[in-house]
Amino acid sequence: MKSAFKTTILGVSAIALTAGAALAQDKTLTINSFGGAYEEAHKKCIITPFEQETGAKVQIVTAYSADAFAQLRAQKDAPQFDVIHFSGGQEIVGAAEGLLAPIDAAKLSNAGDLYDFAKANLAKGEGPAYSIAAIGLVYNSEKSPKAPTSWKDLLDPAIGEHLVLTDISNGYGMLGFLMLNQVQGGDLANIQPGLDTVKKLIDAGAVVVSKSPEIQQEFAQNDAWVAPYASDYAYTLRKAGLPAKFVQGSEGTPASYITASLVANRPNTDLALKFIDMSISPAAQTCFADALRYTPTNSKAELSPEVAADVAYGEDSVKGLIRFDPKVIEANRAAWVEAWKKTIAQ
Amino acid sequence: MSDRTENLLLILPGLLLLALAFFLPIFQMLALSVAGPDGPTLAHFARFLGDPYYLGILWRTVRLSLIITAICAIIGFPLAYIMARVGPRLRLWLIVIVILPLMTSVVVRTFGWMVLLSRSGLVPELLRDLGLVRRNFSLMQTETAIIIGMVQVLLPFMALSILGVITRIDPRLEEAARTMGCSFLQTLRTVILPLALPGIVAGSLLAFTLSASSFVTPSLLGGSRIEVLAASIYSSVTQTLDWPFAAAQAVILFVGVILVLIPYMKVTGRSHG
Repeated sequence: MKSAFKTTILGVSAIALTAGAALAQDKTLTINSFGGAYEEAHKKCIITPFEQETGAKVQIVTAYSADAFAQLRAQKDAPQFDVIHFSGGQEIVGAAEGLLAPIDAAKLSNAGDLYDFAKANLAKGEGPAYSIAAIGLVYNSEKSPKAPTSWKDLLDPAIGEHLVLTDISNGYGMLGFLMLNQVQGGDLANIQPGLDTVKKLIDAGAVVVSKSPEIQQEFAQNDAWVAPYASDYAYTLRKAGLPAKFVQGSEGTPASYITASLVANRPNTDLALKFIDMSISPAAQTCFADALRYTPTNSKAELSPEVAADVAYGEDSVKGLIRFDPKVIEANRAAWVEAWKKTIAQ
Repeated sequence: MSDRTENLLLILPGLLLLALAFFLPIFQMLALSVAGPDGPTLAHFARFLGDPYYLGILWRTVRLSLIITAICAIIGFPLAYIMARVGPRLRLWLIVIVILPLMTSVVVRTFGWMVLLSRSGLVPELLRDLGLVRRNFSLMQTETAIIIGMVQVLLPFMALSILGVITRIDPRLEEAARTMGCSFLQTLRTVILPLALPGIVAGSLLAFTLSASSFVTPSLLGGSRIEVLAASIYSSVTQTLDWPFAAAQAVILFVGVILVLIPYMKVTGRSHG
């Protein structure tokens, strides 16, 4: 279904290009989005307003980060994307390989309002982060006897068998685990403290799930109280009628950055920059936070109190955001997953 | 055209399919399992066989498969016997009941068990109400859950294999045994059971090989903490992207199944020619 969709879009864009309409060509932008609810929000918050404002046409190719990055690499000599979105830190590798073009911050009218971490390496080619999935503590506000406030609270024996951990083969699960590891004195060179803690939690009755829908099941049917997971998922749970809330652990909040990067060697640089500029605008970010509960990276984005309660919001909150080096995670993933599986095996 | 060439023509599509869909992938898997950065290597096998964690997975897979097979046989034999001896109408209904689960997807059936066995599901709730178990008792993510789910999935294979054999046993043999003074249970044990043995062996083999290689039910009911070999292969392929190691695990599973099949072929070859 998805690939058929993709082919259709590629086909349509091919026709548009070969029709020789020079005007249409430099008014067309090709980007990737992540499908599903994300792509819907993407259209509503950024793509449609962009098309209305500039009169340009945006072609969307549905491709997740790893997939999109593979395509970008394969198209090295004749890139097809103008703007490419990543959530797994691929822009760092892409920039280092010269696949992404450096961005002059002066050309983005909204760059000045971005938090510093979101625009740190624009000059290197790493596009700005336009929203952030923050990993904190998702908890059941009715059944949980007290609201958790820190990562250390997960060790509370009272939680015991009401704790849900996510397998580190899942991206959010990995970030939550690395945070727990850090809180317990480990770092990216040594995950043993984290593994020991997980072992202790499991012996105390914690449940391990491997996919996000299972978290919902644990909350709905198995009396789960707390799960370290992403802020947007607490909202998903609430939409499903469960009394779920999100809180940032006081020791810090690991985050997954969603970035928009400029692809090198494409003709429409100005239009693409305008698109990126729009992605980091306060309006677009507010809209994204409303729809999916992602954290804005623009300090001017104004959230309603209801939305703000679900995300990391404001100068002080985002200061606590931690980004574990995606390159180190990628290099160690296989070994860590194996060590994790050996730890949780019973 | 001679009989020979006709036969050959008839068998050709099947052979082609077998070659393309079975032998080719198997050879690829074998090649991949010894693939290393510098030529052929047995490192992947050494890694599996030298690690207590993976040996534990292998042992769990074998142990669970044996238990599941045994339970299927214990339930399947009396069921098949009754199905063979009741009237044709009732037999039809019994067969329908046994086959019915095969008509729904294994995922759907497994989800049914997940609802029944979870902490607030029907079965643990009932046991809790009866005061038999502690407050947070759950059957989900236990080996028991895997066994229950797999027995339901595999029972039809066992029951139908045995049924085929029992229906061919002459009822007069039973009558003779009874008139010679055997009780019903003695008849069952000394006449029916030995004669039904080929069916039980065939059904057991089906149940064993299917449960050793099953993946969906164990991973859904057992969760990520109770890993079986097929699930371990799956995660090597999709999560850690270590295909040679996945291939090595697949070869070990494959060899294990072959090892079970060979004695069977010997036994049945002797008794049926």
